Amino acid sequence: MSTTYLPCGVYHENYQQDHAWWQTRFIKSKMVLLFFFLFFIIPWVSDAYWLSICNLIGYTVLGALGVQLLIGFCGQVTLGHAAFLAVGAYVSTLLVLEFPWPPFLVNWGLAYPISILIAALASGVWCVLFGLPSARVKGFYLILTTMAAQFITVDFVITQYVSQIGGRGQAFSLPPGTIKLGPWTIDSDIRVYYMIIILVIVCVIGVVNLLRSRVGRAWVAIRDNDISAEVMGIDIVKYKLLAFFVAGFIGGIAGAVWISSLAAISPEHFPWFWSLWLVGVVLIGGAGSVHGTIFGSIFMVVVMELLQMAVIPLADTYPKLLVDFLFIKESAFGLAICLFLIFEPNGLAYRWWQAKNYFNLWPFSY
Amino acid sequence: MELFLMTLTTGVMVGGIYALIALGWVLIYKCSGVLNLAMGELTLIGAYVSLSFYTMGVPFLLSLLLSLVIGFILGILTERIFLDKLIGEPVLAVIMVTVGLSFFFKGIVELIWSTDTRVFDPPVFPLEPIRFGPIVVGQVYLWSFIAAMVLLVVFVSFFKYTRWGLAMQATADDEMAALSIGISARFVYAAAWAIAFMAAGVGGTLLGNINGLNISVGYMGLLVLPAVVLGGLNSIPGAIVGGIAIGVMQNLCGAYLDQYFPGGVKEIAPFAFMAIFLLFKPYGLWGWERIERV
Repeated sequence: MSTTYLPCGVYHENYQQDHAWWQTRFIKSKMVLLFFFLFFIIPWVSDAYWLSICNLIGYTVLGALGVQLLIGFCGQVTLGHAAFLAVGAYVSTLLVLEFPWPPFLVNWGLAYPISILIAALASGVWCVLFGLPSARVKGFYLILTTMAAQFITVDFVITQYVSQIGGRGQAFSLPPGTIKLGPWTIDSDIRVYYMIIILVIVCVIGVVNLLRSRVGRAWVAIRDNDISAEVMGIDIVKYKLLAFFVAGFIGGIAGAVWISSLAAISPEHFPWFWSLWLVGVVLIGGAGSVHGTIFGSIFMVVVMELLQMAVIPLADTYPKLLVDFLFIKESAFGLAICLFLIFEPNGLAYRWWQAKNYFNLWPFSY
Repeated sequence: MELFLMTLTTGVMVGGIYALIALGWVLIYKCSGVLNLAMGELTLIGAYVSLSFYTMGVPFLLSLLLSLVIGFILGILTERIFLDKLIGEPVLAVIMVTVGLSFFFKGIVELIWSTDTRVFDPPVFPLEPIRFGPIVVGQVYLWSFIAAMVLLVVFVSFFKYTRWGLAMQATADDEMAALSIGISARFVYAAAWAIAFMAAGVGGTLLGNINGLNISVGYMGLLVLPAVVLGGLNSIPGAIVGGIAIGVMQNLCGAYLDQYFPGGVKEIAPFAFMAIFLLFKPYGLWGWERIERV
């Protein structure tokens, strides 16, 4: 079926139609436009500053995607996802810097891609380790264990032990030119941008596909009611741990990719604040929708940048504001979460759905 | 042996303060079912308020009292502005609102008081330690412990013997029945938050007297979470025992494990313990075991 418009109402005749990705020609052409927008127009119109913001958005999307999977689709709340990002980043950095790669791999620029893969696997396994309590506990207790994951991983293991490897001190510096992807050296914002955007697209498509498979349906069943899911014959422990693994895997990719745009990594890049930031992105975007993650990331990053832009002109009269900007940001973030949860609990994705519906049914929407 | 006894005493005394903060936490949970992750910031606010009064020259006891008053007002305001609108919302939403509140408060505290460590100057408690036989205890610890215990007794007797306390107990026990005999649930929620603010403020002030006051005192407020998990989320005696146990365990780990795992064992141990404890006994020592049905 390849129609231009969907009629008002659902007239699918089989499940294949119902689950099809791009159901109309209109949507297909929208996607082509989006592709051109992402790959040509954004790099063309934006300067280095906006590109770095786009990179930050991409990184946030990658990090929050795993959180979205856990919170929005499997119902397992995690407040320590920055720990898994940190595991990914550190494994990848250590592999690139310390591992005795055979020279031909380095020459072909394969060291970094392989390290991303290993980092993602390691991060997934680490995430499963802290997801193990989910076999017995849920809800608030699970929140506490994931919090413990954050403190144990970042504040203890990485700060005290991993940072000692190689005697570099607290921060691992990544000299320019270390990170090579095939024939390209990832050394400018534009190259980081292309790498991140491709990975975001791959991960989003992967997650969405996973969600419409048997696994995804099992996750949604566990989220809605874990006891009835078990009664229906879903092995809930297996699927919960699988969710943790996939979430950690994507988090590991996010961390490993982010090192390409940093000059050095240190535990301060992965504070508890960042874990909660990711959860905030998911909640503001709308839990339970993948595009909500993207909306949330764009919204949060752009709002914080606008806030910064608003603060800079004021800095001439109140120089203290610039110093205190971090605190203002923290406060604003907290307030944004509160207000969204109180007044817009379904997030931005719901507004998007409403707007879409309005135009779908126009002029007879009621 | 002397080291053991001394860490044990210090642990019990610090644990007394944790117990006080944990009491506030349990109270909110019992009365309104809100799992509060902003407890660390509540301790910070109370501590900074009383420190400001103290540096202005107000006597210590009076500034503590003033911080109680301000904590009371802030608690009621917080409940009315944010939590009141969330009654009946899913648990996750309420938890995340408290997380949001914690960032909001923390940012404001940092804006007003900046992040430098501040001390109570001149020191509130005399600096020379007290000796009980072989055990040497700093006076700060001793007085803090005594203050925390006095307040614990005050709060517990408030619940047992006053009209408001009984109303709160009734609501915690069965909200519908409490409503039917004319207890205002909204009043009880507000009172629970006010008391939590007050308890946390006193706890924070005492903690600030021990090591000086900066943002990391908020982290100590977060230590109530292992404490309440150990005791069981809705048990007041559990909170007290849990707080003291966490204090003892933290100090013992600091004294004995630090040589094997250098670095922040003391800070991490309660959380690591909590993660493992949850695997075996998720409802704590005295918490209610909830039986779920479809």
